[in-house]
Amino acid sequence: MKTSRRLVLGTVLAIFFIGTAVSHAAENRDAKVRNDKNHVEASGQWIYNEFDRALEEGQRTGKPILVTLRCIP
Amino acid sequence: MDQFVRVRLIQCNSLDLNLFQFDYDLTFAAFFLNADRTIYGRFGTRSSQKEASRDITIKGFRKAMEGALELHRDYPANRPALAGKTGPQAPFNIPQAYPSLEGRYTPFLDYQGQVARSCIHCHQLGEAVRKEARSQNTPMPDSVVYPWPMPQVVGLVFDPDERATLKNVTTDSVAEKAGFQTGDVLISLAGQPLLSTADVQWVLHQADAPTVLTAVIERENRQHELELALAADWRRASDLSWRTTSWDLRRIATGGLLLVSLEASARAQLPIQPAQMALRVEHVGQYGDHAVAKRAGFKKDDIIVSFDGLDTLRRETEVFTHILREHQTGELVPVEVIRGKEKLKFQLKIQ
Repeated sequence: MKTSRRLVLGTVLAIFFIGTAVSHAAENRDAKVRNDKNHVEASGQWIYNEFDRALEEGQRTGKPILVTLRCIP
Repeated sequence: MDQFVRVRLIQCNSLDLNLFQFDYDLTFAAFFLNADRTIYGRFGTRSSQKEASRDITIKGFRKAMEGALELHRDYPANRPALAGKTGPQAPFNIPQAYPSLEGRYTPFLDYQGQVARSCIHCHQLGEAVRKEARSQNTPMPDSVVYPWPMPQVVGLVFDPDERATLKNVTTDSVAEKAGFQTGDVLISLAGQPLLSTADVQWVLHQADAPTVLTAVIERENRQHELELALAADWRRASDLSWRTTSWDLRRIATGGLLLVSLEASARAQLPIQPAQMALRVEHVGQYGDHAVAKRAGFKKDDIIVSFDGLDTLRRETEVFTHILREHQTGELVPVEVIRGKEKLKFQLKIQ
């Protein structure tokens, strides 16, 4: 009985920790995506994720457009 | 950089696929455009999972930007030369219109919810393209199996610090036969000006098979015209193993096995012919459709010496090509492996 209780408790704890780790990783990734937007927009150096706005700016200024495509790490 | 309007795109959701055609296995790609959507050029090349600097550098990116500014200064007089940089009409205008992605993603990222999961990654688009081709139940064209061929496939090795300068020309290659030499600067290929290796890949990606591509090179301050003759199967020297999208090819063709060519010293200890294939199972997929090989009985470190009756498939990429061209979903292929001192036979279901 003691062995089976330990087994059940160990399994429950393992599920809890794994679930927490997965949830934590997902939260971290979501936070990175949101922070990237805030960080890049705050720098004022890049238009963020709005290609049509870049085209309008290119028309207005006569400058060529540099588009980078990169997933957030 | 201040001479450009700069925009960063971080998702494939709603990406205009009639404009943005690039190697979807890249983790970084760039376009240089006019505001009327004329493409000046592309930047971004990859041939390895780990050695990015082999293919792209900051110096090279700077040279590409300088080249784009030159093209912008000459625009629109140079418009005819730039026409080929825009691709054909895409089969689907946006990624989420592809059947394998349809209904799974919203047009924009869900910043109020699970934003990361709402994102279509570029490699998912590459997989969608192949899945669409696979659904036709016909042999998959080489142009889909081998997208964005590296110039090395035809013998051209470019210096990543320059726009399109040859660091090396492979001996006995198609490029050597055409007359290319180390140090040549490619001015244009198929009439298109080149800003980077990606622009060379774009021309190769669009090229027919067989075909002849005209190149203008500069050598010792003089320009020369060379003709690069590509055979019907020129793409097949490509290596697909590094591509993220090869994960799905492994599902289709090897039941989730990751295969690597056996080292010469290990080959010598096997009872096989000198030219015979010997692909070691580096990894066995464990879950779902990627565990088909596991359920069939394959194990890590098995040595595959015959695949579908062929013993000439020396690379994992060749196994992919053979299956994508010769077999459809549900068919079984015989596979022979050496495991320790045993020779075993399995039937592998193709997906």
